[in-house]
Amino acid sequence: MARRLYRSKPRINPRRVGLYVLLIAVAALFIGPFLILLGAATKPASQDVFGFPPDLIPRPPVADWFREAWTTIPYARFLVNSVIYVGITVPVYLVVSALTAYPLARIAFRGRGVFFMLFLSIMFLPGELMLIPRFLVMSELGLTDTFAAVILPAILSSLGIFLLRQAFSQIPDEIVEAARMDGANEFGIFWRICVPIAAPTLAVLAILGFVSVWNSFIWPLVVLNSQSKFPIALGIAYLSGVAGTDVRGLAAGTVISLVPVVIVFLLLQKRILNSMGGAVKG
Amino acid sequence: MPSLRGRVVGQHWYTPYVFMLPGLLFYAAMFAWPAVIAIQLSFSDYDIVHPVRFSGLDNFIQLGHDPRVWIALRNSLLFVLMFLPLTVVAPLFLAMLVNLKLRAIQAFRMLYYLPVITSMVAVAVAWRYVFNREGVVNWLLSLFGAGPIDFLLDRHWALPTVVLLEAWKNAGLFMMIYLAGLQSVPSDQVEAATIDGANAWRRLLHIVVPALRPTFAVTLVLSMLEAMRAFESVYVLTRGGPLDSTLTLGYYIWSKAFQDYDMGYASAVGLLLWAIMIVLAGFNLLVTRRRDG
Repeated sequence: MARRLYRSKPRINPRRVGLYVLLIAVAALFIGPFLILLGAATKPASQDVFGFPPDLIPRPPVADWFREAWTTIPYARFLVNSVIYVGITVPVYLVVSALTAYPLARIAFRGRGVFFMLFLSIMFLPGELMLIPRFLVMSELGLTDTFAAVILPAILSSLGIFLLRQAFSQIPDEIVEAARMDGANEFGIFWRICVPIAAPTLAVLAILGFVSVWNSFIWPLVVLNSQSKFPIALGIAYLSGVAGTDVRGLAAGTVISLVPVVIVFLLLQKRILNSMGGAVKG
Repeated sequence: MPSLRGRVVGQHWYTPYVFMLPGLLFYAAMFAWPAVIAIQLSFSDYDIVHPVRFSGLDNFIQLGHDPRVWIALRNSLLFVLMFLPLTVVAPLFLAMLVNLKLRAIQAFRMLYYLPVITSMVAVAVAWRYVFNREGVVNWLLSLFGAGPIDFLLDRHWALPTVVLLEAWKNAGLFMMIYLAGLQSVPSDQVEAATIDGANAWRRLLHIVVPALRPTFAVTLVLSMLEAMRAFESVYVLTRGGPLDSTLTLGYYIWSKAFQDYDMGYASAVGLLLWAIMIVLAGFNLLVTRRRDG
């Protein structure tokens, strides 16, 4: 603080300016496509979407295409569906991951390492390869074209178990032993001591889970038939089929689908960004 | 091996299994059972309508004679080759850039990370405006008297364009992995080298890169596996076309299974992809382990 008061004249450091120019140029590369999309979605009908040189800034911005996209396809339905998918998948995912990770971290039993490797092996069974057999499992269970079919395969991930096991192992033994002395049973220790301590990890997993469920596309495409059960990402693909050459309506619809996930990201960005490093450093 | 005697009060032999029960059930139903079905199907003939019929090695024999498998394999390997420098090398520079102690640097990290959290479908729509015949990229080309290029409709450009988009979408993730790795680079060594007069390039090559070796192991595996299983981007951008120029193994499996309903053959191609991924991961592990020792 004192330093800032002291510095009456802002010094311009050319190296620093150069770095900011570079940072902004790279930022343009990463968000440019989204801004172009937003431009296409808000330009008035009198203004061309494409053209040389590009005329990207809407004059004036209009909401017509959002209205159009909203009425072309049952957007509200898709958004509600996605909220349902996230709302069921994420809590169940957290509970199942925590329950599974707990003994792997805190209970000594024979074969613990084997079970851990088993759950880590999920990494090598990527969803793309499981499309066919899972589709057949769902038909066997009579679950094709249901909400359950979309949710069930998303409940288990190696990342969730891996990160929670790590969080649980870092809890000091004294805390757990003290609770045990007070007569807490194993589940009580898990639920009242360990889960609250692992809350930051659970939060990270909740965010990652939200993003992945919100964006999921291929599996719902395979397992769902009824449009009334489509999540939003599938809705966009459907819109691009329906809207065809209507580049403005498609842009507006896509912008709508991006809004919730971008808001969540902006609100929780610190947590998301800090988590990524930790997840990999392990 | 943890001792089984001296068991903690309140724990029984079955306690861990009770905790793991839901996880094990999901594992069995959503991973183990489907994996078994996949292996079974690859030795069968199945079109959803007729019952499954055991067909021995027919699918694998067909696989050897199917020119499209080789096209898909070639495209997938080309995908890996183009994807590797874009996700293993370029994000390191991004990470070094956002590792600078500058005001508002967190905001730039956030912007670079934004594509990672958006859906591939939305990203594909956005990029179609950028790569449009009359879009920004073709305008830039026209300034140099080149183009216009229909990037996604030209069989020479389609695959590189899909790779570029996939790399662009994932760059932020790789950047954050490197950023975490950079925290572990010994800063006193960097300072000492600076005082000794080593320029930025030499500092990078002789101090930063060796210190990041474990991080490279992670990004290399991640990049290879991502590229090998690339499918969603192909589906939403090109559907394997034009003229199979973006037909990857992942997309071929999907089209065989859910367009031709040739589930058995699709599963056999799936096993091939699976085997390649495991070999790549194993190879990586071997190489990085040896260097560590």
